[in-house]
Amino acid sequence: MTAVTPSTPQHTISLTTRLVRGLARWLWILPVLAFLALGYFIIARPIQVLPRITLSPGYLLFDQQGNRLTSEDMRGKITLYTFTHTACQPPCVATSPFLQTLQARLPELEPSDMPIEFVTISIDPERDTPEVLAAYARDLGADLETWHFVTGTPERLKWVIGGGFGVYYDRRDDGTLALDTAVMLVDWTGTLRAEYRRSLPDIEIVLRDLRLLQQELNNAEGAGRLAYEAAHLFACYPR
Amino acid sequence: MTTTSELATTAATEPRKRVKLWLAIGGLLFGLILGAVLLLATGVWRLGPPQLHGFVMQSPHPVANFTLMGAEGKAVSLRDFRGQVVLLYFGYTYCPDVCPATLVELKQAVQALDKDAAEVQMIMVSVDPERDTPESLQEYVSYFHPSFIGLTGTESEVLAAATPLGVFFEKSEGTAATGYLIDHTATVLLIDKKGYLRLVYPFGITGAEIAADLQYIIKN
Repeated sequence: MTAVTPSTPQHTISLTTRLVRGLARWLWILPVLAFLALGYFIIARPIQVLPRITLSPGYLLFDQQGNRLTSEDMRGKITLYTFTHTACQPPCVATSPFLQTLQARLPELEPSDMPIEFVTISIDPERDTPEVLAAYARDLGADLETWHFVTGTPERLKWVIGGGFGVYYDRRDDGTLALDTAVMLVDWTGTLRAEYRRSLPDIEIVLRDLRLLQQELNNAEGAGRLAYEAAHLFACYPR
Repeated sequence: MTTTSELATTAATEPRKRVKLWLAIGGLLFGLILGAVLLLATGVWRLGPPQLHGFVMQSPHPVANFTLMGAEGKAVSLRDFRGQVVLLYFGYTYCPDVCPATLVELKQAVQALDKDAAEVQMIMVSVDPERDTPESLQEYVSYFHPSFIGLTGTESEVLAAATPLGVFFEKSEGTAATGYLIDHTATVLLIDKKGYLRLVYPFGITGAEIAADLQYIIKN
């Protein structure tokens, strides 16, 4: 064994170096941990959000009592939109019974300050006068506080349904109406968050999406907001 | 061998030094972590993109193009402004309160950008095409900032542009002094250089907040 008589400062330096080296040897674990955490966040998606697809259209329409209803009235609420006409018969897919079922199941959701309302837009203003819409709503047992049956001028309807929501409808040469099936979910800021197209959605999926919106709203402040923004950034959408 | 004995010697003969060293290292690490937390908390340091002020949109498609009438009857399309960030607002010149307030904030946002201001184009579309002529509209917006432009069209054309952007408007009664008023959605829309809707600002946003977002969007 060699005699070691180093001076004190050298001693300190060598110990410091050793400590730094020792730490450095384990430093790799930090990026690895961060990477694993990010991987977990993206793959396991502990937080799921609905995409902020685009703005839902602005509109001025009239309801079953002849009162005006605008897109501004639905600000601060979660709204589900459907498109129909009261004479809708197969192959036209009736979306109103779907909302009727959903209306009955809404109490299953957590109680929330954020109201959930429905807007059913008729593509046939000629036939679907306020009186006809009111009778239609009555037959459905609709809660008129939260379920609005509306229609408007053909031009406004065209820009709202076709231009805004991108839902196809048309009057065929024989006078019957063609209409694509669609349900649209819009949040409290007027942003389109989910579109269920082609066929009626599974009611469980719509309930899940409503829950996701409620959870996002409950976490709109503080650290929760950061986590939810990260979920948006990494497109943690439900499958 | 040497190392072990070195360590043994140190530990045995100078325990106080060792404690001090650990304290120093601990203190240093604590200081660094505290500093980092403070910098992050105060927002001086940023991890990832900054917190934007409007409602963020992730539209998969660019905003549908529209063509309206600018000053001197010139046809102006939204598409013409690809490569610039567009601040789009729907208002009218007879608007008593909301529109001037918003335009002042937009003016301040553009002014705050300094030399980057050329990368931004503010456009106001008239929701009152009946009273707003291309000339009166342009004069009105220029009063706020010389770079601002005003567009108008037939009511039908304005409706087609406004509806998909979430903007509703409707004539309502005013007083004898003001004439009729127009109720309209008062959001400001931010469309990026590629034509995608990126942010929607509710009424009440400040120029400084918009400017902060613009600085980020211009570069990204």
